[in-house]
Amino acid sequence: MSYHRGVCNFCGTGCGHLLQVEEGRVRGVYPLPGHPLSQGRLCVRGWHLHELLQTEERITTAFIRKNGELQQVSLAQALDYVTEKLKKIKGEEIAFLASPRASNEDNYLFGKLARAVMKSNNLSLASDAGQEASARVLLSGGSWPAATGSLARLKQADFILVAGGDLTKQNPIIASEIHRARRAGALVVTVSPRKTQMARLSQVHLRPAPGTFFLVFEGLTRILYEEKKIKADYLEKHTENFQAFFKKLDQVDLGEVVARTGLSREILTEVAQKFYQSKLTYAFYPTGVQSLGQRTMAALFNLMLLSGKLGQNEGGIIPVTGISNLLGSYDLGLSPAFLPGYLVASEEKNIQKLEELWQTPLSRKQGQSVSVCLTENESLRALVVVDHDEEIIRNVNRIKELELVVYFGAYHNNFASLAQVIIPRPSYAEAEGTFTNAERRVQLSRKKVDPPPEVRPLWKNLTELARALGHDWKYQSAEEIFSEIAKVVPQYSKLTYRQLESHLGIKWPCDEKHPQGTDYLQLPEAGSKFRFVLEENVRPQAQSIAEEKANFPFRLTVGRSNYFWHQNSLMKRTFIPKREYNALLLLYPKGFVEVSEEDALRLQLREKQPVRIVSESAEMTLAARISPDVLPGQLYIPYFIEEMIPEFLLRQAAELEKNEEFFLPVRLEKGG
Amino acid sequence: MYWLERHQLDNLVKKLTESYELFGPRRDEVSGEIIFDRLSHPQQLDLKAPIPYNPPKYILFPHYEEILKYRYDRQSKKVVLGRVSHLKPKALVGLRSCDLTGILCLDRFFLGQEFVDEVYLEHRKKLFLISNTCVRPFPQCFCVCTDSGPSAREGFDLDLTRVGDRYLVEIGSKKGQSLAEELGLKKAGEEAAELKKKVVDESVSSFDAFALENKAWISRATNRLTTGFIKPEVWEYIGNQCFECGACSFVCPTCSCFNVEDVNRLDGATDRLRTWDSCSFEGYTKMAGDHNPRKPVEDRRNKRFFCKLSYSQSKKYLRPGCVGCGRCARVCPGDIGLPNVVTYIRREITGE
Repeated sequence: MSYHRGVCNFCGTGCGHLLQVEEGRVRGVYPLPGHPLSQGRLCVRGWHLHELLQTEERITTAFIRKNGELQQVSLAQALDYVTEKLKKIKGEEIAFLASPRASNEDNYLFGKLARAVMKSNNLSLASDAGQEASARVLLSGGSWPAATGSLARLKQADFILVAGGDLTKQNPIIASEIHRARRAGALVVTVSPRKTQMARLSQVHLRPAPGTFFLVFEGLTRILYEEKKIKADYLEKHTENFQAFFKKLDQVDLGEVVARTGLSREILTEVAQKFYQSKLTYAFYPTGVQSLGQRTMAALFNLMLLSGKLGQNEGGIIPVTGISNLLGSYDLGLSPAFLPGYLVASEEKNIQKLEELWQTPLSRKQGQSVSVCLTENESLRALVVVDHDEEIIRNVNRIKELELVVYFGAYHNNFASLAQVIIPRPSYAEAEGTFTNAERRVQLSRKKVDPPPEVRPLWKNLTELARALGHDWKYQSAEEIFSEIAKVVPQYSKLTYRQLESHLGIKWPCDEKHPQGTDYLQLPEAGSKFRFVLEENVRPQAQSIAEEKANFPFRLTVGRSNYFWHQNSLMKRTFIPKREYNALLLLYPKGFVEVSEEDALRLQLREKQPVRIVSESAEMTLAARISPDVLPGQLYIPYFIEEMIPEFLLRQAAELEKNEEFFLPVRLEKGG
Repeated sequence: MYWLERHQLDNLVKKLTESYELFGPRRDEVSGEIIFDRLSHPQQLDLKAPIPYNPPKYILFPHYEEILKYRYDRQSKKVVLGRVSHLKPKALVGLRSCDLTGILCLDRFFLGQEFVDEVYLEHRKKLFLISNTCVRPFPQCFCVCTDSGPSAREGFDLDLTRVGDRYLVEIGSKKGQSLAEELGLKKAGEEAAELKKKVVDESVSSFDAFALENKAWISRATNRLTTGFIKPEVWEYIGNQCFECGACSFVCPTCSCFNVEDVNRLDGATDRLRTWDSCSFEGYTKMAGDHNPRKPVEDRRNKRFFCKLSYSQSKKYLRPGCVGCGRCARVCPGDIGLPNVVTYIRREITGE
């Protein structure tokens, strides 16, 4: 038994840990001291990773469905079967659903299999709307598409803005860093309708009405503009379209901001002034599912830019990824929007560049995300999926109609039972690979234990498939794939396994100019400038709501929990986090809805009393949980448990998942 | 007492590896930090290293352990029980006195009460313990406030105190005595006890200069915790900062709470598992029928400090439940490790 250094594989914080390995099994976990971000801390999930890694509910052999039943087959048989099927399928008839928990190496080859071998651009992750919006906003502002600041100096920050979500539950160790910064003197301002723990740990909690986040940031920007609190020099030197932005600001009506957000002008002004005066300023928002809307991200970016907060020092915007390799998945182009390295997928020159690197022609057809394919693309015949441990599966009926559903995964779950072919995948401790965390830190995770005998790394099986389909792939190791990634992804160009081996991660861009990686975004070089993000989006659905207010007076929002991570069945394979989740579920076996104390009093509701939630299209019965954490007029449902998500939410899930700003107008009726 | 010359240290380690798996402080090559780990080469042992980040608790009270295997036979309706013990003897070399004290607390919990925990006993019987005096405290330490250091007084087989470039060896058991004799260690003269006392005194008096991270006002806090006069607002303030990760319990050398789970294995047998648990979790105190005597986080949080410092609890251990290692302060995402909590209690008393 001994400890081996590694990287936690749950959320995008990428904490360092030590896995205790004994006789080929991971028997314990301990935080790694000295890790630059986690510094010897782990959250409740990280502390129980070894319980998951020891589960026997693993997929250890391949399966093919015959006459409706899954039958165990050899790996070779399964790969042959898939090859024969794939030979008869055209690019636009197939879609690829990648995993934000898979390593960069596995993900890179998965994307290459889709684009280069199957000539399909239908390639995406399941739950990444926020990550894509964030990348788009940051890129169109002239920044790089991820964290612009460095968490290394967070403790010296004087102003920290936390928008949306609850980082204490989603990325607890990043929340811990924010908490430490507050203790060291930073002003922490949390913007969220619900009173989260992050809000409790902040000095200022702004609680805008659901659906009005963007107005908060547009309002703050407008106040600074009105009060002439603008870094004119900075704007002149480093931004190119500030005049156009000013014109847009002229249209922002502070009266409307106050009326719709429900925040007073005084508090907004106070926050705006403190923000403006601060020297080392950070803004955090979660990405992925339940992120902010693109318009809100743009407003936040513009606010930072107007006050000259970008490129000046380690402060900046930190989009916080909720899943271990969500950022890496985007770096490697697992999206219809971007090729590896964030090259825009629709531009001919980018496609040509990739054709040259890969030495194979690529499709020009605009790709679609898997969820769009499943709902809109009637010619879709096949789906290839890596890791689908989310308990909620959308478009089940469409998936059942497909001719071919191939599933690569490590654990048995609901999705695996929909597949026609199942190919086992190692747990992350059983293979080598790199993972990129929210601060752009690329970390190498070495293999700690052997996988079961029939289980091989994903990249190996993908290589075999590509070869069988006539592409001469020669990858022999994850390291070889990584060196190809370095050639394809400019941000990774100087990274090597050798270098990563002797560091606790290196932050991209790591290139000619920054061979040791880059801590934070620098000011643009001569010839290029930051841009305010002006693209107008459709307004969030707030107006139509107004008319329905009489029928549906409550705004229903959804959220996350510690123990149940991204509605994911993984935590159910642990003991302690599972028990904690069950502790909550035992109290409310049918799920619960949080109601404010004021509304409960007004409606004469008791704790645990059954209530009916009715929306325009569906209704459900839950227990009322009277909570000081929601405001009057709001309702909150923890959206993380299959058992708690009866048909009601499933039907509305696509809408509710869009982003944190989305809410559902509902009414609440007493009785079950 | 005996003298262990520098070159004899290698002999000591070699001798131990003949009969024991060797555990001790080693430096992680990339992070540069010290962990108490299985040593694959005796050269990894670093006796001058600072206090390791992890206590040796996991060696005798593992994070995850099968404590029983059983198989139910449906035909005969009988249960076949099997013990799953195949433990190798282990030598723990270079224990800091706080961590040795932690083991003694675990002993009292698992062995010193009405029922003897046989699984723990099995681990414990097979240990050879060599403690190592802290000739200088480390930044996080406050063992002088909790009566657990800087030098061990009991519980070791051998105890080492570095004097110049050799070690003064104190014998704590027959096993230790025979090892010292086997190695042919030179007997120390009458001056030895005085010499050791001088080293320890110097270490104690250097706490002011070196142990800068934590100051713990243990005795007043014990008084306050025992009498229950701490205001609910103080606990609420502390509870609000708790991230409910369980780390404080997991890294505590004396925390002994565990959870038991029966897991059905694919081969038809069932493993009874024991895993670490923590009083910071809501499910920990949950009872059948929904009742939870410690539902709010602050109630769970304060329980831990009652357990560590209240007088009634200390009576059970015959000492405070805290050994002053400072680890809970380092791993806590909410910055409410024991020293900070004691500070909040002190502030409440003094009205700072």
